[in-house]
Amino acid sequence: MKKLFYLLVAALAVTACQKDPDTDDLDNDYLVITNYDKAAAFNSFTTFYLPDSILLIDDKPEPEYWKDGNAQLIIDAFVRNMTARNYTRSENRETADLGIQLSYVQNTYYFLGYNDSPYWWWGYPGYWGPGYWGDWGYWYYPYPVYYSYSTGSLLADLINLEAPQGADQKLPVIWNAFMSGLLSGSAQIDVALTVRAVDQAFVQSPYLTK
Amino acid sequence: MKTIKYISVRAALVAVACLLGIASGKAQLIPNGYLNVDWQYNVPWNDDFAEKSSGWGMNFEGGYYVLPELAVGAFISYHTNNKYVPRQTLPNGNQSTMTTDQQHSIFQLPFGVVGRYRFLQNSMFEPYAALKLGPNYAKMSSYYYVLETYEKTWGFYFSPEIGVTFFPVEGYRLGIHLSLYYSYATNKGHVLHYSVDGLGNFGFRVGLSF
Repeated sequence: MKKLFYLLVAALAVTACQKDPDTDDLDNDYLVITNYDKAAAFNSFTTFYLPDSILLIDDKPEPEYWKDGNAQLIIDAFVRNMTARNYTRSENRETADLGIQLSYVQNTYYFLGYNDSPYWWWGYPGYWGPGYWGDWGYWYYPYPVYYSYSTGSLLADLINLEAPQGADQKLPVIWNAFMSGLLSGSAQIDVALTVRAVDQAFVQSPYLTK
Repeated sequence: MKTIKYISVRAALVAVACLLGIASGKAQLIPNGYLNVDWQYNVPWNDDFAEKSSGWGMNFEGGYYVLPELAVGAFISYHTNNKYVPRQTLPNGNQSTMTTDQQHSIFQLPFGVVGRYRFLQNSMFEPYAALKLGPNYAKMSSYYYVLETYEKTWGFYFSPEIGVTFFPVEGYRLGIHLSLYYSYATNKGHVLHYSVDGLGNFGFRVGLSF
């Protein structure tokens, strides 16, 4: 009977109940998720404003901005794609029809989650506030979004700056993109991956055009 | 409480009797019964969610011959089939789009009753036909990036089976068990934009019979 017992135990031990697939077989390329407001008339906008830096979300309470050559390559990718969709970059934040804000999660200390009540940046004093763009009181995401937070995520929000202003008004984010799995290892290759992810975000958003 | 105690004592006595039976090399672990422990190789055939065949499964089955040729009993088995899905762009809700590669996985765990008819008795070769019925638990998952999207489902399971038990030592009922099976379960599920409607499988089992 001991032999039988050992046989049964061995059989159970050798084969764990569920065999999870090997995620090492995944290609380690980026994940690109885009969301958009179905009610937005994307062809009604003409100009967009894009700051010359990317906000770094890290573990420091003071905001930091990424402005070096690699950041410019990523920013240029957004400008190139928006221009290809017949939008014109504006140097004037106050008169532009659209705004684009880019954020990179370098550390998850302040990054608690990102869902349809997108207050994940509340604890982060440096995050883009609606007040950066004008006289708006709140953010508004007209679609449900949920992303798992992780280091190495690039977030892009496209904002409708023609929305009515006021302290009790909401500033709508009519399109956003989440790109993750980026910027680890060789910086040059990672930036190339990031630029490709930006291009993919536009490829899978054909409605985003004038 | 008395009932529980009574059942426990009976179970202990049966276990001791089984122990003594095996230890002394007597005919069977369970008189007029059988117990199978099998490794199984499973091939999904009617869904393309996770149709890669695999050997990640086991089957446990026991029965009692209520007639010389007819046994009734119970079974539980489990199996995992996976599939790598190359990078693609897919809808993620009606306002969202996602680009990623994935690992798909279906874990099945059917259990229930089994009826078995053996064509020969007290022979070295004991061919049989069997039918299994019961509920089937199935978890359908997509793994991508660092995320898992899944749905847990229940369905009705039936599985006809043919097999043979080979007893190499005369008078000693430790045998080698081989079988071929087909199964179908009515589980339905939706993961991302994929739908699964019914789980069909066929395969074989190799194991020991006591």
